[in-house]
Amino acid sequence: MNILSSLEGSSFSMWLLGSNSIWAYPTVLTLHTFGMMVLVGASAMLDLRLLGFGRGIPLDSLKTLFRVMWAAFYLNAVTGTMLFAADATKRGTSVIFLVKLLLVVSGVVTIVLIKREVYGKNPAPVTVSSTAKRLAIASLLVWSAAISTGRLLAYVT
Amino acid sequence: MPTIANLGDLAHVHLMLNHFPTIGTVLGLGLFLLSFVRKNDHLTKVSLEVFFIIGLATLPVFLSGVAAQAALKDSPGVSAEAIATHENAALLAFILIEITAAVAWLGLWQIRRLARPTRTNLATLLVLSVVTLAVMAWASNLGGDIRHPEILTGLYSTPTEGTAASGGGWLSTAAITSFVLEHPWVWPTSETLHFLGMSLMFGVLLIVNLRLLGMLKTMPFAAVHRLLPFGILGFAINFVTGMLFFIAAPEQYTENVSFHWKMILLELAGVNFLFLTVFDGAWSLAPGDEPSLADKIIAASALCLSVGVMYFGRMLPFIGNAF
Repeated sequence: MNILSSLEGSSFSMWLLGSNSIWAYPTVLTLHTFGMMVLVGASAMLDLRLLGFGRGIPLDSLKTLFRVMWAAFYLNAVTGTMLFAADATKRGTSVIFLVKLLLVVSGVVTIVLIKREVYGKNPAPVTVSSTAKRLAIASLLVWSAAISTGRLLAYVT
Repeated sequence: MPTIANLGDLAHVHLMLNHFPTIGTVLGLGLFLLSFVRKNDHLTKVSLEVFFIIGLATLPVFLSGVAAQAALKDSPGVSAEAIATHENAALLAFILIEITAAVAWLGLWQIRRLARPTRTNLATLLVLSVVTLAVMAWASNLGGDIRHPEILTGLYSTPTEGTAASGGGWLSTAAITSFVLEHPWVWPTSETLHFLGMSLMFGVLLIVNLRLLGMLKTMPFAAVHRLLPFGILGFAINFVTGMLFFIAAPEQYTENVSFHWKMILLELAGVNFLFLTVFDGAWSLAPGDEPSLADKIIAASALCLSVGVMYFGRMLPFIGNAF
C-alpha cells in the first residue's frame, strides 16, 4: 500500500484535491464525465443499430464512431488516472472501484469484438449476425453497470 | 462566476411567465381543435409544435415558482397554506403538461415517418390537453389567491402561520421531499439514472448532429431520425430524476448560478431538438448530401448546448452549492 500512499501524497495529487482552482479537481472530473458521455453514448448508438433500431442507417457509415469512442476512451484513461492518483489509498483498496475497472475493461473488449465481428471484412456486411447482436446487448449492459458502479463510488466512503 | 438572478428576481420571473402555460394550452388546444374542423394537417403540426413549446416554457415557470415561495414565505400577509395548495396543484399541472408535450413530440416524429400522427396519438393528445388545461387553470387560480387580497375572501384563515402545509396526498412536493430524503438509496439511484439518461440522450444528439455537420455522410438523415425517440427517453429519465433532486432540495438550486445557466442552455437545446424533429432542410439529406451552412450551425450549437448542460450540471457543487 506504500505505492498508493506515496501516489496520494505526490505534489500533483495534493494540487488536484487541495487547490481551490476551478481548473483542478472540478475540471478533471467534468472532462471525465464528458468522456463517459461520448464513449457510452456513441457505443449505445452502435448497439441500438445492431439490435435493429434505425435499420436504414448503413453499417458502414458508423465506422467513424470508433474514432470518436477511442478518443473519448483515451481522455478518460488520462483523467481517470489523475482522479485515482488523488484518492489512491481509498480507491486502490475499494472493491467497488475494482469492479468498475473490470466493467470498463469488459466494455472496451465488447467494442473491440463488435468492431472485429461487424467491420472485420471489407465492405461491412448489410445484415447483422446473431453474435453481433449478443455483443451489442452485452455492451449495453456492461457500460450501464460501469456507470452505475462509477456513480456509486461518490457515495461510499 | 457572477450571479444572474437572486430569489427576488426569480419571483419576478415567475410573475412574468406564469400566464404562459394556461394561455399557451388554450392556444394549442384551440389550434388543435380547429385542425380537425378544417381537416388541415399543417394546422395539426403547428398545434403539436405549440404544445411542445409550452412544455418547454412551463419548466422555468415551475422552477421560478419554487424560488418565489422561498422569497415570499416570511412576508406578512402571505399564507403558507395558500402557497402549498397552489404548489401542489401546479406540480400536477406541470407533470400533465410535460406528458402532453412528450405525446405532441411523438406526433411530430410520426408525421415524419408516416406523413401524419396516428389516431391513438391524436386521441391521447386531445384527452391530455383538455385535462391539462383544466388543471392548469385551477393551479393558476390558486396562485392568484396568494397575493391578491381583492379576490381573497377569507379562504385561508391563518396567514403567515406555520411552514408549508404537509397535506396534499402522495403527489405533493412535501411527499416527494420526504420520499427522496428519507430513503438513503433514492438520491444515489437517481444520480445513476441521471448519468445513464444523459449518455443515451447525448449518443442520439451526437450521431444526428455529426450527420448534420457533414460527417457520417453516407447516412440518410431520415434513417437517423428514427433514433430520436431514444433521445426523448433519455430526457424523460433525466427530467424525472432531476425534478426529484430539485423538489427534495430546492435550496441547492434556486440560488445556484450554475443551475440557472444549466436551465437556460437546456431550454435552448429543447428548441434545437424541435428543429431536428420537424425542419425540412435536414430531413431531405440523402446519403452523400452535404448539409447547408445553416444546418451545420444548428448542429454545432446543438452539440455545444448539450455539452454546456452537462458542464453546468457537473459544476453544480463547484460553482454553486449543490452536492
